[in-house]
Amino acid sequence: MSAAFDTRDNGVALTSTGEARDFFALLKPRVMSLVVFTALAGMATAPGSVHPVIGLASLLAIAVGAGASGCLNMWYDADIDVLMSRTAKRPIPAGRVLPSEALSFGLTLSVGSVLVLGLVANLLAAALLAFTIFFYAVVYSMWLKRSTPQNIVIGGAAGAFPPMIGEAVVTGDLGWHSIVLFAIIFMWTPPHFWALALVKSADYARAGIPMMPNVAGPASTRRQIVLYSLVMAPVAVLPALMGFGGLAYLVVSVTTGLAMIALAIRVWRTTEGPAATKACYSLFGFSIFYLFGLFAVLLVENGLGLMWALPKVIG
Amino acid sequence: MSESRRKPPAPAAFSPEDMARRRRRSIALALVLGGLVVFFFVVTLVKTGPAILNRPL
Repeated sequence: MSAAFDTRDNGVALTSTGEARDFFALLKPRVMSLVVFTALAGMATAPGSVHPVIGLASLLAIAVGAGASGCLNMWYDADIDVLMSRTAKRPIPAGRVLPSEALSFGLTLSVGSVLVLGLVANLLAAALLAFTIFFYAVVYSMWLKRSTPQNIVIGGAAGAFPPMIGEAVVTGDLGWHSIVLFAIIFMWTPPHFWALALVKSADYARAGIPMMPNVAGPASTRRQIVLYSLVMAPVAVLPALMGFGGLAYLVVSVTTGLAMIALAIRVWRTTEGPAATKACYSLFGFSIFYLFGLFAVLLVENGLGLMWALPKVIG
Repeated sequence: MSESRRKPPAPAAFSPEDMARRRRRSIALALVLGGLVVFFFVVTLVKTGPAILNRPL
Protein backbone atom coordinates (compact mmCIF):
# COMPACT_ATOMS: atom_id res chain seq x y z
CA MET A 1 0.00 0.00 0.00
CA SER A 2 1.27 3.43 -0.81
CA ALA A 3 2.37 5.93 1.75
CA ALA A 4 -0.73 7.82 2.58
CA PHE A 5 0.56 11.27 3.32
CA ASP A 6 -0.91 14.35 1.87
CA THR A 7 -0.03 17.94 2.65
CA ARG A 8 -3.19 19.65 1.43
CA ASP A 9 -4.44 20.37 4.93
CA ASN A 10 -2.10 23.28 5.75
CA GLY A 11 0.96 21.10 5.92
CA VAL A 12 -0.59 18.63 8.33
CA ALA A 13 -0.13 15.13 7.05
CA LEU A 14 -3.28 13.12 6.42
CA THR A 15 -3.27 9.39 6.80
CA SER A 16 -5.48 6.80 5.23
CA THR A 17 -7.94 5.25 7.64
CA GLY A 18 -8.79 2.38 5.30
CA GLU A 19 -9.28 -0.99 6.88
CA ALA A 20 -8.90 -4.43 5.31
CA ARG A 21 -12.66 -4.54 4.67
CA ASP A 22 -12.46 -1.26 2.72
CA PHE A 23 -9.82 -2.74 0.45
CA PHE A 24 -11.92 -5.87 0.12
CA ALA A 25 -14.90 -3.67 -0.84
CA LEU A 26 -12.74 -2.13 -3.61
CA LEU A 27 -12.68 -5.58 -5.22
CA LYS A 28 -16.48 -5.53 -5.70
CA PRO A 29 -17.00 -8.87 -3.92
CA ARG A 30 -20.48 -9.48 -5.36
CA VAL A 31 -19.26 -9.05 -8.94
CA MET A 32 -16.23 -11.16 -8.05
CA SER A 33 -18.43 -14.01 -6.80
CA LEU A 34 -20.42 -13.99 -10.05
CA VAL A 35 -17.15 -14.04 -12.03
CA VAL A 36 -15.87 -17.01 -10.01
CA PHE A 37 -19.18 -18.79 -10.50
CA THR A 38 -19.28 -18.32 -14.28
CA ALA A 39 -15.57 -19.16 -14.65
CA LEU A 40 -16.20 -22.35 -12.69
CA ALA A 41 -19.09 -23.19 -15.03
CA GLY A 42 -16.71 -22.61 -17.97
CA MET A 43 -14.26 -25.05 -16.39
CA ALA A 44 -16.97 -27.63 -15.66
CA THR A 45 -18.44 -27.58 -19.17
CA ALA A 46 -15.03 -27.65 -20.89
CA PRO A 47 -14.15 -30.91 -22.62
CA GLY A 48 -11.37 -32.19 -20.35
CA SER A 49 -10.28 -32.01 -16.74
CA VAL A 50 -7.80 -30.22 -14.55
CA HIS A 51 -6.11 -31.06 -11.24
CA PRO A 52 -8.38 -29.76 -8.45
CA VAL A 53 -5.58 -27.71 -6.85
CA ILE A 54 -4.67 -26.15 -10.18
CA GLY A 55 -8.36 -25.46 -10.84
CA LEU A 56 -8.78 -23.86 -7.42
CA ALA A 57 -5.60 -21.80 -7.77
CA SER A 58 -6.72 -20.65 -11.22
CA LEU A 59 -10.13 -19.64 -9.86
CA LEU A 60 -8.41 -17.63 -7.14
CA ALA A 61 -6.28 -15.84 -9.74
CA ILE A 62 -9.37 -15.14 -11.87
CA ALA A 63 -11.22 -13.82 -8.80
CA VAL A 64 -8.34 -11.53 -7.84
CA GLY A 65 -8.04 -10.32 -11.46
CA ALA A 66 -11.76 -9.53 -11.53
CA GLY A 67 -11.43 -7.76 -8.20
CA ALA A 68 -8.45 -5.78 -9.47
CA SER A 69 -10.45 -4.53 -12.45
CA GLY A 70 -13.27 -3.54 -10.08
CA CYS A 71 -10.76 -1.66 -7.94
CA LEU A 72 -9.36 0.22 -10.96
CA ASN A 73 -12.95 1.01 -11.99
CA MET A 74 -13.66 2.50 -8.55
CA TRP A 75 -10.43 4.48 -8.67
CA TYR A 76 -11.31 6.01 -12.04
CA ASP A 77 -15.00 6.56 -11.23
CA ALA A 78 -14.54 8.10 -7.77
CA ASP A 79 -15.50 11.54 -9.12
CA ILE A 80 -18.90 10.34 -10.33
CA ASP A 81 -19.46 7.75 -7.61
CA VAL A 82 -19.67 10.58 -5.08
CA LEU A 83 -22.64 12.02 -7.01
CA MET A 84 -24.77 8.88 -7.04
CA SER A 85 -26.70 7.51 -4.05
CA ARG A 86 -25.92 3.91 -5.05
CA THR A 87 -22.15 4.46 -5.04
CA ALA A 88 -21.49 7.41 -2.69
CA LYS A 89 -20.62 5.11 0.22
CA ARG A 90 -17.86 3.30 -1.65
CA PRO A 91 -14.44 3.49 0.08
CA ILE A 92 -12.92 6.23 -2.11
CA PRO A 93 -15.85 8.71 -2.30
CA ALA A 94 -16.50 8.09 1.40
CA GLY A 95 -12.88 9.11 2.11
CA ARG A 96 -11.78 5.87 3.76
CA VAL A 97 -9.25 4.94 1.04
CA LEU A 98 -7.06 7.40 -0.86
CA PRO A 99 -7.24 7.26 -4.68
CA SER A 100 -3.48 6.63 -4.87
CA GLU A 101 -3.86 3.64 -2.57
CA ALA A 102 -6.68 2.21 -4.67
CA LEU A 103 -4.67 2.69 -7.88
CA SER A 104 -1.57 0.94 -6.56
CA PHE A 105 -3.71 -1.80 -5.01
CA GLY A 106 -5.56 -2.40 -8.30
CA LEU A 107 -2.43 -2.36 -10.45
CA THR A 108 -0.54 -4.70 -8.12
CA LEU A 109 -3.38 -7.21 -8.04
CA SER A 110 -3.83 -6.97 -11.83
CA VAL A 111 -0.21 -7.80 -12.58
CA GLY A 112 -0.04 -10.42 -9.82
CA SER A 113 -3.22 -12.26 -10.87
CA VAL A 114 -2.18 -12.45 -14.53
CA LEU A 115 1.32 -13.68 -13.65
CA VAL A 116 -0.03 -16.31 -11.26
CA LEU A 117 -2.62 -17.56 -13.77
CA GLY A 118 0.09 -17.79 -16.44
CA LEU A 119 2.32 -19.83 -14.12
CA VAL A 120 -0.42 -21.99 -12.63
CA ALA A 121 -2.54 -22.63 -15.74
CA ASN A 122 -1.34 -21.47 -19.16
CA LEU A 123 -0.53 -18.40 -21.23
CA LEU A 124 -3.87 -18.31 -23.08
CA ALA A 125 -5.83 -18.14 -19.82
CA ALA A 126 -3.47 -15.44 -18.51
CA ALA A 127 -3.76 -13.44 -21.74
CA LEU A 128 -7.57 -13.64 -21.59
CA LEU A 129 -7.55 -12.47 -17.96
CA ALA A 130 -5.23 -9.58 -18.85
CA PHE A 131 -7.51 -8.62 -21.74
CA THR A 132 -10.58 -8.81 -19.47
CA ILE A 133 -8.98 -6.49 -16.91
CA PHE A 134 -7.92 -4.10 -19.66
CA PHE A 135 -11.36 -4.21 -21.28
CA TYR A 136 -13.19 -3.45 -18.02
CA ALA A 137 -10.79 -0.89 -16.57
CA VAL A 138 -9.79 0.96 -19.74
CA VAL A 139 -12.25 0.26 -22.59
CA TYR A 140 -15.39 0.28 -20.41
CA SER A 141 -14.55 2.48 -17.40
CA MET A 142 -12.33 5.09 -19.04
CA TRP A 143 -13.91 5.25 -22.48
CA LEU A 144 -17.33 3.71 -23.12
CA LYS A 145 -19.04 4.44 -19.81
CA ARG A 146 -18.95 8.22 -20.18
CA SER A 147 -19.21 8.45 -23.95
CA THR A 148 -21.97 6.22 -25.35
CA PRO A 149 -25.34 4.77 -24.33
CA GLN A 150 -24.04 1.45 -25.68
CA ASN A 151 -21.58 1.47 -22.74
CA ILE A 152 -22.95 -1.55 -20.92
CA VAL A 153 -23.73 -3.41 -24.15
CA ILE A 154 -20.11 -3.42 -25.36
CA GLY A 155 -18.69 -3.28 -21.84
CA GLY A 156 -20.77 -6.33 -20.97
CA ALA A 157 -18.18 -8.38 -22.83
CA ALA A 158 -15.85 -7.91 -19.85
CA GLY A 159 -18.35 -9.69 -17.61
CA ALA A 160 -18.87 -12.40 -20.22
CA PHE A 161 -15.21 -13.45 -20.60
CA PRO A 162 -14.79 -15.51 -17.36
CA PRO A 163 -16.30 -18.76 -18.77
CA MET A 164 -13.82 -18.50 -21.66
CA ILE A 165 -10.96 -18.06 -19.18
CA GLY A 166 -12.30 -21.10 -17.32
CA GLU A 167 -12.31 -23.22 -20.47
CA ALA A 168 -8.83 -21.99 -21.40
CA VAL A 169 -7.57 -23.09 -17.95
CA VAL A 170 -8.80 -26.63 -18.59
CA THR A 171 -8.08 -27.12 -22.29
CA GLY A 172 -5.51 -24.45 -23.15
CA ASP A 173 -7.84 -23.60 -26.02
CA LEU A 174 -11.21 -21.97 -26.74
CA GLY A 175 -14.23 -23.95 -27.87
CA TRP A 176 -17.91 -23.46 -28.65
CA HIS A 177 -19.03 -24.29 -25.12
CA SER A 178 -17.51 -21.21 -23.56
CA ILE A 179 -18.41 -19.06 -26.56
CA VAL A 180 -22.09 -19.93 -25.98
CA LEU A 181 -21.72 -19.13 -22.27
CA PHE A 182 -20.11 -15.82 -23.29
CA ALA A 183 -23.11 -15.09 -25.55
CA ILE A 184 -25.60 -15.82 -22.76
CA ILE A 185 -23.95 -13.35 -20.35
CA PHE A 186 -23.43 -10.81 -23.13
CA MET A 187 -27.13 -10.82 -24.12
CA TRP A 188 -28.22 -10.88 -20.46
CA THR A 189 -26.29 -7.73 -19.51
CA PRO A 190 -28.44 -5.05 -21.23
CA PRO A 191 -31.84 -6.11 -19.80
CA HIS A 192 -30.21 -6.56 -16.38
CA PHE A 193 -28.53 -3.15 -16.26
CA TRP A 194 -31.16 -1.14 -18.08
CA ALA A 195 -33.85 -2.34 -15.66
CA LEU A 196 -31.80 -0.66 -12.90
CA ALA A 197 -30.88 2.32 -15.09
CA LEU A 198 -34.59 3.07 -15.67
CA VAL A 199 -35.05 3.47 -11.92
CA LYS A 200 -31.77 5.27 -11.28
CA SER A 201 -31.83 7.53 -14.34
CA ALA A 202 -31.80 10.71 -12.18
CA ASP A 203 -28.60 9.49 -10.50
CA TYR A 204 -26.96 8.81 -13.86
CA ALA A 205 -28.11 12.19 -15.20
CA ARG A 206 -26.57 13.95 -12.19
CA ALA A 207 -23.28 12.14 -12.80
CA GLY A 208 -23.43 12.83 -16.55
CA ILE A 209 -23.33 9.18 -17.57
CA PRO A 210 -25.11 8.61 -20.90
CA MET A 211 -27.12 5.53 -19.93
CA MET A 212 -29.71 4.39 -22.44
CA PRO A 213 -32.78 5.78 -20.55
CA ASN A 214 -31.10 9.21 -20.33
CA VAL A 215 -30.11 9.32 -24.00
CA ALA A 216 -32.71 7.34 -25.97
CA GLY A 217 -35.48 7.77 -23.40
CA PRO A 218 -37.36 5.30 -21.20
CA ALA A 219 -39.70 4.11 -23.99
CA SER A 220 -36.86 3.11 -26.31
CA THR A 221 -34.97 1.49 -23.43
CA ARG A 222 -38.04 -0.55 -22.51
CA ARG A 223 -38.38 -1.75 -26.11
CA GLN A 224 -34.72 -2.72 -26.24
CA ILE A 225 -35.01 -4.62 -22.95
CA VAL A 226 -37.75 -6.74 -24.55
CA LEU A 227 -35.73 -7.27 -27.74
CA TYR A 228 -32.58 -8.34 -25.91
CA SER A 229 -34.64 -10.68 -23.69
CA LEU A 230 -36.24 -12.23 -26.78
CA VAL A 231 -32.78 -12.98 -28.20
CA MET A 232 -31.22 -13.98 -24.88
CA ALA A 233 -33.78 -16.61 -23.87
CA PRO A 234 -33.25 -18.86 -26.96
CA VAL A 235 -29.45 -18.40 -26.77
CA ALA A 236 -29.64 -19.62 -23.17
CA VAL A 237 -31.23 -22.89 -24.36
CA LEU A 238 -28.29 -23.66 -26.69
CA PRO A 239 -26.24 -25.65 -24.10
CA ALA A 240 -29.08 -28.21 -23.99
CA LEU A 241 -29.11 -28.45 -27.79
CA MET A 242 -25.31 -28.73 -27.96
CA GLY A 243 -25.09 -31.57 -25.46
CA PHE A 244 -23.43 -29.87 -22.50
CA GLY A 245 -26.73 -29.10 -20.78
CA GLY A 246 -29.06 -31.95 -19.86
CA LEU A 247 -32.78 -32.31 -19.27
CA ALA A 248 -32.73 -30.26 -16.05
CA TYR A 249 -30.93 -27.46 -17.88
CA LEU A 250 -33.46 -27.58 -20.72
CA VAL A 251 -36.39 -27.26 -18.30
CA VAL A 252 -34.78 -24.51 -16.22
CA SER A 253 -33.55 -22.47 -19.20
CA VAL A 254 -36.92 -22.62 -20.99
CA THR A 255 -39.08 -21.81 -17.96
CA THR A 256 -36.88 -19.07 -16.50
CA GLY A 257 -36.26 -17.68 -19.99
CA LEU A 258 -40.01 -17.33 -20.49
CA ALA A 259 -40.25 -15.66 -17.08
CA MET A 260 -37.51 -13.18 -18.10
CA ILE A 261 -39.44 -12.35 -21.28
CA ALA A 262 -42.69 -11.93 -19.31
CA LEU A 263 -40.99 -9.59 -16.80
CA ALA A 264 -39.38 -7.63 -19.64
CA ILE A 265 -42.80 -7.22 -21.27
CA ARG A 266 -44.19 -6.01 -17.95
CA VAL A 267 -41.42 -3.38 -17.82
CA TRP A 268 -42.32 -2.37 -21.38
CA ARG A 269 -46.06 -2.05 -20.67
CA THR A 270 -45.92 -0.54 -17.17
CA THR A 271 -44.49 2.92 -17.64
CA GLU A 272 -45.92 5.09 -14.86
CA GLY A 273 -45.77 5.34 -11.09
CA PRO A 274 -44.68 2.89 -8.39
CA ALA A 275 -45.85 -0.07 -10.50
CA ALA A 276 -43.26 0.82 -13.16
CA THR A 277 -40.50 1.02 -10.53
CA LYS A 278 -41.63 -2.30 -9.09
CA ALA A 279 -41.60 -3.91 -12.55
CA CYS A 280 -38.02 -2.72 -13.11
CA TYR A 281 -36.83 -4.00 -9.75
CA SER A 282 -38.59 -7.32 -10.37
CA LEU A 283 -36.78 -7.76 -13.68
CA PHE A 284 -33.45 -6.66 -12.18
CA GLY A 285 -33.78 -9.06 -9.23
CA PHE A 286 -35.03 -11.97 -11.30
CA SER A 287 -32.28 -11.50 -13.89
CA ILE A 288 -29.66 -12.22 -11.20
CA PHE A 289 -31.55 -15.34 -10.14
CA TYR A 290 -31.91 -16.34 -13.80
CA LEU A 291 -28.21 -16.20 -14.64
CA PHE A 292 -27.26 -17.81 -11.34
CA GLY A 293 -29.80 -20.59 -11.94
CA LEU A 294 -28.59 -21.37 -15.47
CA PHE A 295 -24.94 -21.64 -14.43
CA ALA A 296 -25.79 -23.53 -11.23
CA VAL A 297 -27.62 -26.22 -13.22
CA LEU A 298 -24.71 -26.45 -15.68
CA LEU A 299 -22.33 -26.83 -12.73
CA VAL A 300 -24.39 -29.57 -11.09
CA GLU A 301 -24.88 -31.44 -14.37
CA ASN A 302 -21.28 -31.22 -15.59
CA GLY A 303 -19.32 -30.82 -12.37
CA LEU A 304 -21.13 -33.48 -10.35
CA GLY A 305 -21.98 -35.69 -13.32
CA LEU A 306 -25.72 -35.54 -12.57
CA MET A 307 -26.82 -35.08 -16.16
CA TRP A 308 -29.80 -36.67 -17.86
CA ALA A 309 -28.24 -36.34 -21.30
CA LEU A 310 -30.27 -35.20 -24.27
CA PRO A 311 -29.61 -35.99 -27.94
CA LYS A 312 -27.23 -33.44 -29.45
CA VAL A 313 -29.08 -31.23 -31.95
CA ILE A 314 -26.30 -28.72 -32.75
CA GLY A 315 -22.54 -29.22 -33.02
CA MET B 1 9.61 31.37 2.14
CA SER B 2 9.14 31.37 5.90
CA GLU B 3 10.86 28.97 8.27
CA SER B 4 7.69 27.03 8.99
CA ARG B 5 7.08 26.48 5.24
CA ARG B 6 10.41 24.76 4.80
CA LYS B 7 9.68 22.11 7.43
CA PRO B 8 8.51 18.77 6.13
CA PRO B 9 4.92 17.99 7.07
CA ALA B 10 4.55 16.25 10.38
CA PRO B 11 2.69 12.97 10.38
CA ALA B 12 -0.78 13.31 11.77
CA ALA B 13 -1.12 12.23 15.36
CA PHE B 14 -2.76 8.85 15.52
CA SER B 15 -5.73 8.46 17.78
CA PRO B 16 -6.20 5.12 19.56
CA GLU B 17 -8.91 4.31 16.98
CA ASP B 18 -6.50 5.04 14.12
CA MET B 19 -3.86 2.83 15.70
CA ALA B 20 -6.38 0.01 16.14
CA ARG B 21 -7.43 0.34 12.50
CA ARG B 22 -3.84 0.29 11.29
CA ARG B 23 -3.13 -2.73 13.46
CA ARG B 24 -6.12 -4.61 12.03
CA ARG B 25 -4.95 -3.73 8.53
CA SER B 26 -1.42 -4.95 9.25
CA ILE B 27 -2.74 -8.23 10.63
CA ALA B 28 -4.91 -8.74 7.53
CA LEU B 29 -1.91 -8.05 5.30
CA ALA B 30 0.22 -10.53 7.26
CA LEU B 31 -2.48 -13.18 6.88
CA VAL B 32 -2.69 -12.57 3.12
CA LEU B 33 1.10 -12.83 2.76
CA GLY B 34 1.15 -16.02 4.82
CA GLY B 35 -1.65 -17.42 2.68
CA LEU B 36 0.33 -16.60 -0.46
CA VAL B 37 3.34 -18.53 0.87
CA VAL B 38 1.16 -21.61 1.45
CA PHE B 39 -0.52 -21.09 -1.96
CA PHE B 40 2.77 -21.01 -3.89
CA PHE B 41 4.14 -23.95 -1.90
CA VAL B 42 1.12 -26.16 -2.62
CA VAL B 43 0.89 -25.14 -6.28
CA THR B 44 4.62 -25.82 -6.74
CA LEU B 45 4.21 -29.29 -5.25
CA VAL B 46 1.27 -30.06 -7.53
CA LYS B 47 2.90 -28.60 -10.66
CA THR B 48 6.18 -30.40 -10.09
CA GLY B 49 4.55 -33.64 -8.99
CA PRO B 50 6.57 -36.67 -7.86
CA ALA B 51 9.58 -35.28 -9.72
CA ILE B 52 10.11 -32.87 -6.82
CA LEU B 53 11.84 -35.74 -4.95
CA ASN B 54 13.87 -36.80 -8.00
CA ARG B 55 16.86 -34.46 -7.83
CA PRO B 56 20.60 -34.91 -7.29
CA LEU B 57 21.73 -34.45 -3.73
